[in-house]
Amino acid sequence: MLDSLFDDVKRMNKRQFIYQVLSFGMIVSSALMIWKGLMVVTGSESPIVVVLSGSMEPAFHRGDLLFLTNYPEEPVRVGEIVVFKVEGRDIPIVHRVLKLHEKNNGTVKFLTKGDNNSVDDRGLYAQGQLWLTKKDVVGRARGFLPYVGMVTIYMNEYPKFKFAVLACLAVYVLVHRE
Amino acid sequence: MAEVNETVKINKWDGAAAKNAIDDAIREVLTGDLKCNESFALIDGRLFLCALAVGVALYALLWDYLYPFPQSRLVLIVCVSSYFILMSILTLYTTFKEKGIFVVAKEKVGNNTRVWEASSYVKKHDDKYNLVIVMRDSTGKSREASFNKSFANYIDTNGAVVQTIVTNEITKLYNSLSSEKKEK
Repeated sequence: MLDSLFDDVKRMNKRQFIYQVLSFGMIVSSALMIWKGLMVVTGSESPIVVVLSGSMEPAFHRGDLLFLTNYPEEPVRVGEIVVFKVEGRDIPIVHRVLKLHEKNNGTVKFLTKGDNNSVDDRGLYAQGQLWLTKKDVVGRARGFLPYVGMVTIYMNEYPKFKFAVLACLAVYVLVHRE
Repeated sequence: MAEVNETVKINKWDGAAAKNAIDDAIREVLTGDLKCNESFALIDGRLFLCALAVGVALYALLWDYLYPFPQSRLVLIVCVSSYFILMSILTLYTTFKEKGIFVVAKEKVGNNTRVWEASSYVKKHDDKYNLVIVMRDSTGKSREASFNKSFANYIDTNGAVVQTIVTNEITKLYNSLSSEKKEK
């Protein structure tokens, strides 16, 4: 069975084998370039995020896919849903803007809160941080797709499953000709 | 990898696998029995385009890692657009230049160089293997011959390509294309 799996590879000549590896590389590169392209178009370093917690219910549920933009010329407003990073936390947070102070020179500081949380986010911010600023923002929610992100969540909860799926795909692409 | 394995088994219901196997057999005949030199320029061109595209993507990845996003914007724009341009060039290259040609072989006859190009295609859900062989000589004249037969003609019940049948078919085509020239 394993023997027959690699038959295709064994019969390839040098150039066919290189092409096989390169076409696998191109599949990965295409996904990567689409992602980087989206980054450039939306201005956000992470244009698509998955909601991981229920803190924004009933607006967003665990597993919703959010589409973000982060254009510098668009002002942040109270009531908008922003995705922001907090120092010392790897995973960005999706919450709503509760209070906002804007100065004449355009700098803003704002406070956020999860719709489903009873208190604001000061407890989540870094030690001693009271406000968020523009540089903490990853993006603002512009659209969402419900439950699609559950796949990502399961993948991250069971890393072995993720690696198994990825390995199977890689082997399939490398071993099969065209 | 390149050696011919006599016991290779092909699932002849898998059109792509069967096509690849017969393509390989025909390459063997042209470059082996008929003593033509295989020319790799066409396939090397494709490999170069692919490698360039993957290189551009890797460069974008590295640059974005070294200089996180807002800084790397310009480089990303250049890389992403050139990647998609390269992909379109690659598509054009395979559809209009390669056109399914799987072997190009050169042959010296006197002070004439003849170029043989063999291309094949199989329609989806069809058992017919279509082969086109084009012969070009140095005067720029070209002639072509083609045939279209079921896979079953070349692959036995065990799933092995019958090399002798392929050799006969190709030699016949080769001779008819070569001799036509002499009659003129």
